[in-house]
Amino acid sequence: MSFATITRWEFTSTLKSRKFLLIFFMQLSVLGLMIIMFNSFAANIESEKGIFLTPSLTDFATVDVQDPGGLIQKRINPELIKIYPSNNNNSIIRLKQGETTGLYIVSADSLERIRKSESIDTLLYLDYSDPKRSVVRDEINSTNNAVASALTNSYLQSVNPKNTSQTGFKEEKSGEPLPMQIIKKMMLAVLLFLPLFLFGNMVIDSVVGEKERKTGEILIAMPITSFEILFGKGLAVVFTIAIQVAMWMIILLVVGFAMKNPIQVYLMIVLTSLPVVGITTIIAAYAKNYKEAGIGITFAYILMVGFLIVPALAYISRQSSAANISPMTTVMRLFSGETIPLQDIFWPIIIILLGTAATFWIATLIFQRDDILFGPRPGIINLSLQLLGIKKR
Amino acid sequence: MGELIEFNTSMIKINSLNKSFGRIKALNNLNLEIEKGELLGIIGPNGAGKTTAIRIICCILQPDSGDVTVDGYSIYRDQIKIKSMIGYLPEEPNLYERFTARNLLRYFGELYGVPKNEINSRIDELLELVDMGHRADDRINTFSKGLRQRIGIIRALIHDPKVLIFDEPTMGLDPATSLVIRSFIKGLKGDKTVILCTHYMDEADMLCDRVAILNQGKIHDIGTPKHLKETIHGDIILQIRVNGPKKIDENIIMAFKSVKAVDIDDDEYHISLHSRDHISDILDVFGSRAISVNTKEPTLEDVFIQTIK
Repeated sequence: MSFATITRWEFTSTLKSRKFLLIFFMQLSVLGLMIIMFNSFAANIESEKGIFLTPSLTDFATVDVQDPGGLIQKRINPELIKIYPSNNNNSIIRLKQGETTGLYIVSADSLERIRKSESIDTLLYLDYSDPKRSVVRDEINSTNNAVASALTNSYLQSVNPKNTSQTGFKEEKSGEPLPMQIIKKMMLAVLLFLPLFLFGNMVIDSVVGEKERKTGEILIAMPITSFEILFGKGLAVVFTIAIQVAMWMIILLVVGFAMKNPIQVYLMIVLTSLPVVGITTIIAAYAKNYKEAGIGITFAYILMVGFLIVPALAYISRQSSAANISPMTTVMRLFSGETIPLQDIFWPIIIILLGTAATFWIATLIFQRDDILFGPRPGIINLSLQLLGIKKR
Repeated sequence: MGELIEFNTSMIKINSLNKSFGRIKALNNLNLEIEKGELLGIIGPNGAGKTTAIRIICCILQPDSGDVTVDGYSIYRDQIKIKSMIGYLPEEPNLYERFTARNLLRYFGELYGVPKNEINSRIDELLELVDMGHRADDRINTFSKGLRQRIGIIRALIHDPKVLIFDEPTMGLDPATSLVIRSFIKGLKGDKTVILCTHYMDEADMLCDRVAILNQGKIHDIGTPKHLKETIHGDIILQIRVNGPKKIDENIIMAFKSVKAVDIDDDEYHISLHSRDHISDILDVFGSRAISVNTKEPTLEDVFIQTIK
């Protein structure tokens, strides 16, 4: 249990360090700024004018619109959605053949009904196999909202599409627009996972610092294994991350972010920090100096962030079950209040635990080699081949 | 090889040790045996393999071949056991700057597994031993090099090890601090097995029971300092400064029975003698060409220089 001694000393020494406290509170300030930025961004999105999220997506999706009165059609953003005036039968065929993403029908007497203060019927058919459906749905919804806001309730009481499900299509009755889902869920998830990537410098300082300050030799001469040294140091960083995540979550809850299952969310994030610290430890075990380690973690963190975010985005857009490999997906589902089946939690936890074991094992294999510390250090390819047993040392 | 002195049993055995760093062969079939309670000095030029050898004993480096046992434990199978028996002061004993002296010693004490109820008294005792009790709660970054070295030495002693290994413990220190550290190391003799790597021949001469001369990864000579000086390279050196050294036949000097070797350095002859028997006869050979004459007992430094030539 010597790793516990290392963890305790590293952790207490970190908390006593003025430099660390400064960094810690600067990170909290960054979070504060991000919350302000996010709130202002979201406010713009939700405003009548909105902000255009996809400026380069001209004619991104097509919709057949049947709106004889022109009430809605005129207000659909033509830069995003290409509109085809619809003949109902023809449009259904186009929809079936995948030539258009949606069909939107506004009752022919819409203007007349508004004058009579009656509600008007609108119908939206979507090709559910087309991923662009979300964009169409969002745009139609936001156009409807804009029209509804522009008219008084006495002219248009509701935009109330009827249930018109058919084979191959599905009517979207309600739902949060995709950009808002992305922003709300992803922003929150990113904010929650951010501390995991802010403490790489601590791992580097803890391991590479021993090499640069030449204190490593004494540490290796201690009656403890290389694994205990690395795991002890890594665990100290995980504890620090745990404090930071807790503080961030409290701040986010206080400023009004909706977050269900906060304890499960917290545990999942802290658990995820283990392999992140493990990967950073591999880089630190190999790196000769801070500069090398800095370059290494930049690339590694881009890959890790990608691994976390891409499946989470895929989950939002397609509800794909494969997206559950990312702990960020699980966290997102947890704070959204979804009921998560056991197998959907099982896989990310297994990945985290296996990732932790594998990364610390590799880091130990590297760290216990004397040529890494005392030279001549093998190149990355040579080292990898040697670790895989393909090449002899 | 030199004489053996009486010790109980062997503490460290090094058998056919080889270690290379890339193309550089640091140790070349090194064999050495160190007895319990012995203070062995290892001297050698830079790059001789001293630090490599002690790093292997401390299980910091892995040898390419050969074996080392410490108190019967092998470096291949019992690394943790060996590490817990050794107190090691490396050549660059860089310490954690942010720690106070007391905290640093406590940290290493805990890593060595010193019982918690003993650790504080042990720290106080050791700090007093190096006259640093009053600086116990000062941070390491406020200490001079000499004070850091004292802390480094007692850090190596915190777990009361059977074996102590000091790599250049007085390197770069002022004479007064060096004296304190040498006296401290001298005080450990008999109780602990000590390996002392040093460049200072007088230090090895003063402190060590035996001295091993290491060069190019091999032991060239080993024995007590006295033995090395007397039996291997003569006991007297006659230094004669002359006018025109080439006019004197070296063979005439070598013909005297007591002469062991003759070295000429510009206008100065260095004649190694077994005894003083023929000094006046040798001086007669030089006659009026001799400007100055001096006799000198050989030092370990002379032995070292002769050996590594």
